[in-house]
Amino acid sequence: MPLTEQSVLLLAPNPAAAENGRKLSRKGSFSAHHKTSDGTLYWAECAGSGKTPYRVSADFTSPEAPVCRCSCPSRQFPCKHALGLLFEMLDGKPFETAEIPQDIAGKRARQAARTARKESAPSGPKKPNAAAQKKKLDKQLAGLDMAEKMVSELLVAGVGTLAGSSAQSYDKLAKDLGSSYLTGLQTAFSRIALAVRTVQKNPDQTQAAYSEALRALIALHSTIRKARVFLRQKLEEGSRSAEDTVLFEALGGVWKLEELQSIGAFRENAGLVQLSFDVTYDEAKKEFCERGWWLDISSGQIGQTLNLRPAKALKYVKGDDSRFGLLETPMLYTYPGEGNRRIRWDSASTRPIEPREQAALPALAQPDLAAAVKLTKGQIKNTLLPKYMAVMVPIGQVGTVGDAFVLEDPKGGRIVLRDRREDGADHASTARLAMLPEPIPVGSALFGLMFYDEADRTICLHPYSVVTPWRIIRLQY
Amino acid sequence: MSSLQPLYDVKERLEYAAIAGTGLLAEDFRLRRAAEAMKPLAAASPVFGKISAGLDKLLEAPAEARAGLLLDALALVDAVAYTQGRSGMEGALAPLPTSGGGYIEISRSQLQPLLNALTTTGGGRMEIIQSAWEEHPEFFTDFRVLPAVAAGLGDSYGEIAELSAKILKSLGNVVTPVLKKDFDPAGKKEMARRVEVLAAVEGPNATEWLRETLRDAEKDVRTAVLLALGEDQANAGMLLELVKTERGRNRDAVLESLAKLDGEEIRKFWSTELRTHSESVKFLRDTNTDWAAELVAAGLWARVEKMLSSGVVPAKERDGFVVWCSAIGKKDSPAMLQFWRWADSHMEGIDRLKTEDGKPVFAGVRLTDTLREIMQKTGPGPLRDYCLTQFDRWPEMTRYLRTSFQAALLSLPAADVYEKYSPYLLTEAPSPDKALKMRGETLNNVLLRALGDVYWHHNRRCHVLVFGQATAEPLDPRWVERMLHAVCKPDLGHYCPFAGAEEVDGFDKTLVELVNPTDPEQRAWLIPYLRRRMAETGSWNSYSRYLLMMGGSPSGVLGKAMAKRPGRHYAYYIWQLLSEASKILPGEETAQLLEEIDIGLCVRKPEQELAKKAIPCTIQLLRAGRPFPEWNDWWEMR
Repeated sequence: MPLTEQSVLLLAPNPAAAENGRKLSRKGSFSAHHKTSDGTLYWAECAGSGKTPYRVSADFTSPEAPVCRCSCPSRQFPCKHALGLLFEMLDGKPFETAEIPQDIAGKRARQAARTARKESAPSGPKKPNAAAQKKKLDKQLAGLDMAEKMVSELLVAGVGTLAGSSAQSYDKLAKDLGSSYLTGLQTAFSRIALAVRTVQKNPDQTQAAYSEALRALIALHSTIRKARVFLRQKLEEGSRSAEDTVLFEALGGVWKLEELQSIGAFRENAGLVQLSFDVTYDEAKKEFCERGWWLDISSGQIGQTLNLRPAKALKYVKGDDSRFGLLETPMLYTYPGEGNRRIRWDSASTRPIEPREQAALPALAQPDLAAAVKLTKGQIKNTLLPKYMAVMVPIGQVGTVGDAFVLEDPKGGRIVLRDRREDGADHASTARLAMLPEPIPVGSALFGLMFYDEADRTICLHPYSVVTPWRIIRLQY
Repeated sequence: MSSLQPLYDVKERLEYAAIAGTGLLAEDFRLRRAAEAMKPLAAASPVFGKISAGLDKLLEAPAEARAGLLLDALALVDAVAYTQGRSGMEGALAPLPTSGGGYIEISRSQLQPLLNALTTTGGGRMEIIQSAWEEHPEFFTDFRVLPAVAAGLGDSYGEIAELSAKILKSLGNVVTPVLKKDFDPAGKKEMARRVEVLAAVEGPNATEWLRETLRDAEKDVRTAVLLALGEDQANAGMLLELVKTERGRNRDAVLESLAKLDGEEIRKFWSTELRTHSESVKFLRDTNTDWAAELVAAGLWARVEKMLSSGVVPAKERDGFVVWCSAIGKKDSPAMLQFWRWADSHMEGIDRLKTEDGKPVFAGVRLTDTLREIMQKTGPGPLRDYCLTQFDRWPEMTRYLRTSFQAALLSLPAADVYEKYSPYLLTEAPSPDKALKMRGETLNNVLLRALGDVYWHHNRRCHVLVFGQATAEPLDPRWVERMLHAVCKPDLGHYCPFAGAEEVDGFDKTLVELVNPTDPEQRAWLIPYLRRRMAETGSWNSYSRYLLMMGGSPSGVLGKAMAKRPGRHYAYYIWQLLSEASKILPGEETAQLLEEIDIGLCVRKPEQELAKKAIPCTIQLLRAGRPFPEWNDWWEMR
């Protein structure tokens, strides 16, 4: 993977670390620049606050995942000194060829031994403890009863009461669901409570907030009912393994890569192009969700990567960022579900996308708007799935009718382009269509989130990116 | 009404029921009515039938079963509403405009903070924008960033608004569509800045838009448009008409615009304008056309002549004279030179001018200062040549020495300047003759003031005069040596060159700033002098810093200097100086400097406890080869 500013930013634990590294490089803190003759190791000294400079190195034995080392005491990884060294390389500073230092050679050898041990170790998920699993299922079923009771009591009293004094005791009850291994349901209750409290804080958002609370309540009710059947069946069958169903995550389950592998949810040698990237804050879960929308260049499917960073541990969890070019991964894992499924990979490399590959991207869009609308309706009526669908639709033309932005597909079908209110001002992008650098070329497609707007009961599209035969123009990030 | 209205009514009633509570369901006659209205639809389609059946079940259900049934019914109604959702919009499709900006692949971690900084409020934003502008100026052409920069023109923090204007101006006419989009001619400062930027990037091409905008422009925007019209000579006629109708600051804006234009009509206008509104001459300050120089020279000439003829200058006349002097700006045309020659030949009379209450007008001093300023701001030419010989021609006018000496520095070899002018800097007691002594001391003082306008520019590595012109050659080093032996030091003011409000004598500041720090000889001359002055004045912080700058050390003097003002020294300034010293001097020498400080005598009482802990600890650290501690480390030792 060629070293670029973007790749350095992706390596950084946060933008501030990258900026600090850049400043160190700019102010000339580095000295004694060296590299090995094969160009796999770069090292230098960086002046710090102490008398002795830090020894910092970047090891490119595995070019797609460089290992940065530094003698500083920072707990950030890579530290600003290592990032500064990468900026020194980017700036083309001269590095003198030298023998690999003894200590780094030793570390490399130990790293290689660790990797070999890991590769020789048996793979696949660990054998579950049957008794513990049974106990967990029992507890989850008991938790479902409690959740159902809470839903029922809430509806008898009225969702509106959540804005009142009962809110605190309700929060406490919701927390108990967490100890029943039903963190997904706990979050759903918190989400409902939060939506209702919005009514108190912002009376002008009453309708939208209640609507959100009720949709979440419907999803919760549906999850409880389906999960009870699912868990009872597992208990009766004595099945302990993870299942290919969205219920697992809806209840609060977390997939591991080996579990996804064990249920066959993976594909080898995949090529992906990121269409858009965004960050949202989930108040109910108190975490930041960094989401990348990816187009699989062979299947045309649109998947999403989710990097979840709890607010409390923000600086300890590495952030994700926009990615450009074509990402190639030997193994692409796909989460169970429908529509835009969550995807993950363990290792990947990025290369610039070739013109012919780029030119082929718009053709991966839905055949027309009607097909995309049908898909969306199919998804949003499912109570367990999001109330939107990421789609790519072919563009005949994009223009305005009065104040409204409208997309017309090559067959003449039309859809209103509009920002999804729930995404907030940070995601506002429709108006940017009127500021595009150039007219949208023929043969382009529009990527965005299709959704149902309660306000006028229409299916709309929130545009995220314009995919032309030459490039992807991101309206957001 | 839509044929699906009963479905939406049911949806609405079910939602109300969920919010109000199922306990009230039995009395909800509106829901019952909505359920009744569904019946005809139920007959038409199985899915509506299912909804209708679900509603019947819900309305008949016992209280404990209602919650689940309500949610089931609502889920079904929702699903049907989604599938019935319309898409599309009728009407003619108008094509989208384009911005003229570009598209850059910018990651979110770079783009989001920049957009935030440009469009929100709060501290720390300036640094983000500035740093992005330095690192990635290309980001600012991106179609997502450009509108945000345009929005930055209205930032409540003036510096961000100014920076946004600077950025947009440097991007060229790519910014035009963004600035014209949603432009409000009745807007406030943001819109006025848009006009300013548009005029700068479009030049004369903006004329048509400016003329259109002027029709509806109000307040700030109108003023900005009037100012911008001066960028195009083609607007001369329009501006000449507008000057008759506009009032107040808008008329001033028209005058400012007219001052930028050229031509016979314009000259005629200004000739008349200055006759009727003499104070309008201030707008001609930055105009260097021949006609402007002629008008200003002639006007000034007439004013001075008038003052000379009456001998007494009324306050109004004096104020007018000041405005006319400042209107000279950088005009160095033959007409101006002619005026200077005439003024010099009448300088004795001009110097004698008095106000009605008998106070001097200082008109001569003002004229001499103005001439010198023009010479400092403009390059070689007849005006500088004139200045070069001014003192030779009128040696009795001692203040001309400053002008001629500086003109010599800008024009002649350093050694020649030294040879000619150094005798005026007295290194021996002047003649006992009273008149000679007075003249000698005056010339000495004038020369020192002239040297105060010269300093070593560390980045350009040359000597420069105020306003930035480099001297013809680096100053002759003998000046430093001669200054060290000066016997007559006038009061050149007091300055606080460093934090801590510690004063330094103007003579010493001049001397330090004249020294070329790359010349070891000059540094070696200066170091003992600075150590002596430090001990004399007690200004330990400033002189220590000067010494460190010259490669010296305050070692051996620091303690004594501090002791001259006991109990007045802040721990922070001690830390700051010694921390700086530790970066230049060896650790042991810094430790010895710390040892010189008599904490009990020198440090302010409230900080003595801190100093008593921090200073010995720092000495220990330095001797152990450790770095000088941060201020936080000192502070925590309280």
